[in-house]
Amino acid sequence: MRIIVLLVVLSLSWAGAAQARLYDDVIASGVIYIGAYKNFPPYSFESEGKPQGVDIEIGRRIAEAFGLKMEVHWITPDESLEDDLRNNVWKGHYLDKDEANPLAMKHLADVMMRVPYDREYAFKRDGQGLLINEQVVLFGPYQRERWQVAFDSEKLERVGTVAVFQYHPIGVEIDSLPAFYLTSAFGGRMRENTIHFFNNAEAFAAMKAGKVDAVMGMRAEVDWQIGKEQGTRYKLAENGFPTMGKQQWDIGMAVAQSYRQLGNEVETVVDQLIRSGEVEKIYASYNLRYELPGLYQDVAQ
Amino acid sequence: MKKFSGSFAVTALVAAMSVSGLSQANVTDKDILDDQKTVEDVVSNGMGPRGQRYSPLDMINTATVKDMRPVWSFSFGGEKQRGQESQPMVKDGVMYVTASYSRVFAVDTKTGDELWEYNARLPDGIMPCCDVINRGVALYEDLVIFGTLDAKIVALDAKTGKVKWKKTVADYKEGYSITAAPMVVDGKLITGVSGGEFGIVGKVEAYDAKTGKILWTRPTVEGHMGYIWKDGKKVENGISGGQPGQTWPGDLWKSGGAATWLGGTYDPDTNSLFIGTGNPAPWNSHMRPGDNLFSSSRLAIDPDTGKIKWHFQTTPHDGWDYDGVNELISFDYQEGGKTVKAAATADRNGFMYVLNRTNGDFIRGFPFVDEITWAKGLDKKGRPIYNDTFRPGNPSAGEDGNKGSVVRAVPAFLGGKNWMPMAYSQQTELFYVPSNEWAMDIWNEPTAYKKGAAYLGAGFTIKPTNEEHIGVLRAMDPKTGKEVWRYKNYSPLWGGALTTAGNLVFIGTPEGYLKGFDAKTGELKYEFNTGSGIVGSPITWKQDGEQFISVVSGWGGAVPLWGGEVAKRVKHLNQGGSVWTFKLPKS
Repeated sequence: MRIIVLLVVLSLSWAGAAQARLYDDVIASGVIYIGAYKNFPPYSFESEGKPQGVDIEIGRRIAEAFGLKMEVHWITPDESLEDDLRNNVWKGHYLDKDEANPLAMKHLADVMMRVPYDREYAFKRDGQGLLINEQVVLFGPYQRERWQVAFDSEKLERVGTVAVFQYHPIGVEIDSLPAFYLTSAFGGRMRENTIHFFNNAEAFAAMKAGKVDAVMGMRAEVDWQIGKEQGTRYKLAENGFPTMGKQQWDIGMAVAQSYRQLGNEVETVVDQLIRSGEVEKIYASYNLRYELPGLYQDVAQ
Repeated sequence: MKKFSGSFAVTALVAAMSVSGLSQANVTDKDILDDQKTVEDVVSNGMGPRGQRYSPLDMINTATVKDMRPVWSFSFGGEKQRGQESQPMVKDGVMYVTASYSRVFAVDTKTGDELWEYNARLPDGIMPCCDVINRGVALYEDLVIFGTLDAKIVALDAKTGKVKWKKTVADYKEGYSITAAPMVVDGKLITGVSGGEFGIVGKVEAYDAKTGKILWTRPTVEGHMGYIWKDGKKVENGISGGQPGQTWPGDLWKSGGAATWLGGTYDPDTNSLFIGTGNPAPWNSHMRPGDNLFSSSRLAIDPDTGKIKWHFQTTPHDGWDYDGVNELISFDYQEGGKTVKAAATADRNGFMYVLNRTNGDFIRGFPFVDEITWAKGLDKKGRPIYNDTFRPGNPSAGEDGNKGSVVRAVPAFLGGKNWMPMAYSQQTELFYVPSNEWAMDIWNEPTAYKKGAAYLGAGFTIKPTNEEHIGVLRAMDPKTGKEVWRYKNYSPLWGGALTTAGNLVFIGTPEGYLKGFDAKTGELKYEFNTGSGIVGSPITWKQDGEQFISVVSGWGGAVPLWGGEVAKRVKHLNQGGSVWTFKLPKS
């Protein structure tokens, strides 16, 4: 099987299609392409024409450590992480074609940020027992993420349990795990009060407009919205999410399989950033709480 | 005959003027309505507005077809191959055909020479859900009109390929695109929209075909307001289904799906557009109890006003992604001395339906695939009798983080029949249905992520139901529901059918063959390998006294994307992109 994979990789590079730049190529080029989701605050977004966000900041520090210039490879999310890895890390998108230069390499990220670090996911197999993610290396966890509810304290005194959403409307991002949870858990008793928005920012805006009494999203997204508010009207809830599948997960990075050496070097840099408290500072500068990924929490104990 | 001689004169003129540009008559509403009868041209998707894909031509027939041979092949060229699902159009010696990546070509039908080509400039960051295919153009006056992957309608000058007008139907950034061929009815350009699972809402829209001015818009999800433009003013035109919240919980109707991704047909008798709608969103049915109108349905829409006259929902509360987009083909039949104005459709869900096309009433329904697990049958009104064991699981049931229980649903979500259009022969009074036999294992997949967030995916594997074949071309009798004959194909069928008065049925296969069958018996009468898989729909027309057949070749579309165990049967197939044209040798 290895040989077959190798042959596939070789034939791809020969065809001039997507091909990972090797570590030496990246260093020699003077530029490192950091893959980050487009328009996705507080992780990665543009403000006043400049890339911003915690993922961008970490990417910038990686570039600096190698003495390289950071270019952001903006990622339009597809329907799943597998798609994003294929389109942006190892293969390239089938619409990325250069009419004038058909042999041009596809645009890929050297390192993709905000890729969940999950052993079970990394070694997931398809129906025929083949590894789904064998073209990429998932490495370098740098943050633990979880779900968070924020509420309007003029509508709700507190959110002790999610049961209150049987009576109070709550905003969620469409086609997200909170949307699944709130429309199906407990026999669907919160379903009628689940209001869908295109993203967390829109849900939060709806709360400020009095259309929903709470929002649910990723902790950093919710912290980011709360951090922008003056006063204390919008508060963080302390409820749990009984019966909900994945309540916390770690975020790391991805490189193409053939980039392994680059991945190792990047991992060393990011590990230093975490241990020195630099990553926590970056999060704090965006008014976000920071939680160490599981790997570091275990070591700390 | 008059039509023939007129056309002959034009063709002669074309030959004389082919260097300095072709002389072309404009396509009129009458040309489109009469398309099935006027064999010298093909000016509608479906070879007639009803979409029967039946031609009265019979020069190529069961006796002569063995001598049929290619006269030219035209390559779309470039790096841009992938699936070619187009049906070519022919008018006055010019073929108009679309290719993958939103391209249009005009080709001289005599020589196969390219006259012009148009490449839509697609923006960065578009995410079409299901390959970069396009299914063809509409012709009107001196315009060639088609939809693009970034959800625009573009009208080109038929002589030069230059843009005459362009309209944005929907925002590609919200997940919309267009792949279906639009149609023209009484000067109105009718189009639907495609979209992934991003929370889109399906709609049907009418534009002035000459100018691109919008005339009306009709959302296909209950609760959304329709609009009509009167003297340039946008006026409310009634909420689809009357009001929101009747068949949807919470606010899910706001993002209910029901994409009109395959376009439709038109029945001049009842002045109705027949348009199918896709699956409801979100994908998992347990999140949205109710029928979820008008998802997975056929809609009859008044082309003048955009009002829904009736609907027939094939899969209420769709939990399998069966959609309901398949073409509804109008046909008449005699029963008890009376003419029945019927229409038939073969659904992704495995059942074929015969409806009264004047009011949408169910006449009869029957399976057209060998196995169906999700429903035990249809009731008197054509509503499925569910077998709940085979409904994909509730997401809240598997939330301990383990893989949910596996359900074996048949047909697989790619359907007993997918987009590929069937054909109806007025000669044999049979429908020729390109179908597939496959199952899917489906489960809730908690080890999934989306945009940096934990997610609940739907895991699935598509499996053939037997070793010998997936594809089956079936001849179905709409009056009895009986299968008259079948032809089995190893890989799945993904191209449309064509039938002719020559007692023939044509279809292409992923293995690359254009195949011709005796329409009455199913005997294989012809085959020719075009070099890449066929997933387009063949056409036939007459030129200079000879009958021609054309088909687009180029493997791709949804099958290689979704794969599963089916991938093993198709992974060796090569991509391509060309038009093949055939005729009989001159004796």
